[in-house]
Amino acid sequence: MLNENPTFFKSLQQAVRGNMLGPLLLSEPDAYDVVVIGGGPAGSTAALYAARAGLKTLVIDKELTAGAAGMAGQIVNFPGVGPVSGVELVQRIRDQAASFGARFVTDRVLRVDLGQNPRGVWAGNGVYFGRAVILATGAMGRKHRIPGEEPLVGRGVSYCATCDGAFFRGKEVAVVGNTEEAVEEALTLTRFASRIHFLSPTQDLRAHPDLVRELLEYPGALYYPAVHVIEIVGQEAVEGVRFTNTKGEEERFLPVAGVFVYLPGNVPITDYLEGQLPLGEDGCLIVDENFQTAIPGVFAVGDLLCRHLKQAVVAAAEGAVAAMAADRYLRGRTRLRTDWSG
Amino acid sequence: MPLLNEEIRQEVSRFLEDLPGPVRLVMFTQEFECEYCAETRQLVEEIADLSPRITAEIYDFQADRAKAEELGVDKIPAIAVIGAQDYGVRFYGIPSGYEFSSLLHTTRSVAAGKPDLSDATLKVLGGLTKPVHIQVFVTPTCPYCPQAVVLAHQMAIASPMVRADMVEAMEFPHLAYKYQVMGVPRTVINETVHIEGAAPESMVVAKLQEALKNN
Repeated sequence: MLNENPTFFKSLQQAVRGNMLGPLLLSEPDAYDVVVIGGGPAGSTAALYAARAGLKTLVIDKELTAGAAGMAGQIVNFPGVGPVSGVELVQRIRDQAASFGARFVTDRVLRVDLGQNPRGVWAGNGVYFGRAVILATGAMGRKHRIPGEEPLVGRGVSYCATCDGAFFRGKEVAVVGNTEEAVEEALTLTRFASRIHFLSPTQDLRAHPDLVRELLEYPGALYYPAVHVIEIVGQEAVEGVRFTNTKGEEERFLPVAGVFVYLPGNVPITDYLEGQLPLGEDGCLIVDENFQTAIPGVFAVGDLLCRHLKQAVVAAAEGAVAAMAADRYLRGRTRLRTDWSG
Repeated sequence: MPLLNEEIRQEVSRFLEDLPGPVRLVMFTQEFECEYCAETRQLVEEIADLSPRITAEIYDFQADRAKAEELGVDKIPAIAVIGAQDYGVRFYGIPSGYEFSSLLHTTRSVAAGKPDLSDATLKVLGGLTKPVHIQVFVTPTCPYCPQAVVLAHQMAIASPMVRADMVEAMEFPHLAYKYQVMGVPRTVINETVHIEGAAPESMVVAKLQEALKNN
């Protein structure tokens, strides 16, 4: 069965080796001083300040365009910079952080263990340890599902093409989304599905042009810009999707066996914490004036927070304060040290 | 040609250092009609090579049918991970990709004979009076799957009433079909209760109790 699909497995050796070795091996046994989860304005600025303070700093980020800033077309009110695209702003902060020695890896954090010290951060391609952790995962989690989505999870509704693509060999599937992740996952599905219907909520896709071109040029991919998915239809398994244009007109039905959903939402992303930190109303994180959570040495910044003003400059400032507080925590100091030097 | 290159051999050796007890990787294979039996056998033997406390035992699924029945092995390739006792920990299909990590972690846990579970979970598992069979369906390319597999195996280590299988969905399409697996991880408890995705420990315990009510 497996060898019918040479592209999926290429070879057994490859599956066992390399990145496919899996996340549970201690790929980075040496702990970082600070592990930052999320690389938007808050996380990247935290990394900038932590690295500048001489702390061994790692940032784990899903992708440059995944967060709210990364998706922002233009930011015109970031002091001293602008107008600038969200992606460019974040990239500049990252470059600045990297110039002080911060390391960035692209990966998805699956779970954390904040109770141990150093704290463990399990991501898709490795386990990382940090004496302090700064959470900056933003607030683009989904609260509202598409009608029909929830009861059909595992019955054709999926959020992971690499995991589940092989179940849709030779079948038609839909991908719902407009992000880089959505496009990448659709490209993964080209190895399996006979046809991919790509349903984007916006006219344009927010992904690297090369990836978008690769998808649009794939003969088995059909692109539907600016559509609104009304319902995922199915009894025991997915039978299709109903959608209209964004004005709610021209309703259509596509018979598909699978629907891969990559829509952003607007609630704090905290699922990987698995209840290790108390959450406020609407799932936001509660912190003290130094952005420290209920667990000493664990900080949270940016859109994750309760009573947070969703502005890139505010997120960046919070990142700076948290990094200095992390420095103080790690060095056992009681007062913040201000860095005025050039 | 070895499956594990030198770098991975070293990493695995480090991971398996100081195993608290001996572990037998009891593997069932056959020469024909088994796509990944040969590679699974090789993988088991290469792992056993990396730790003095791990031994590989290889049985033929047909010729050694009595042994297979004794261990409740009904499909191949199969690996029973056995420590001080047989905790009911099984891998069906090759533990490649992300599942290679599951095999190593479960091996460590079986060697210790002590599950890493919360007191609340241990209390529920300690009170079980009916058998529980947990099957976790996976694909080797699923980063979320080892969490579900390792948790199920921990539960098997914790209770003699629980047995837990990793089942590689692509290698057993009839089971994937039977249990309607269209996404992984999918955990099936006592044939009746399903869990989609890598659920937290407390949710798996709740589902396990639900399955026992249904029985």
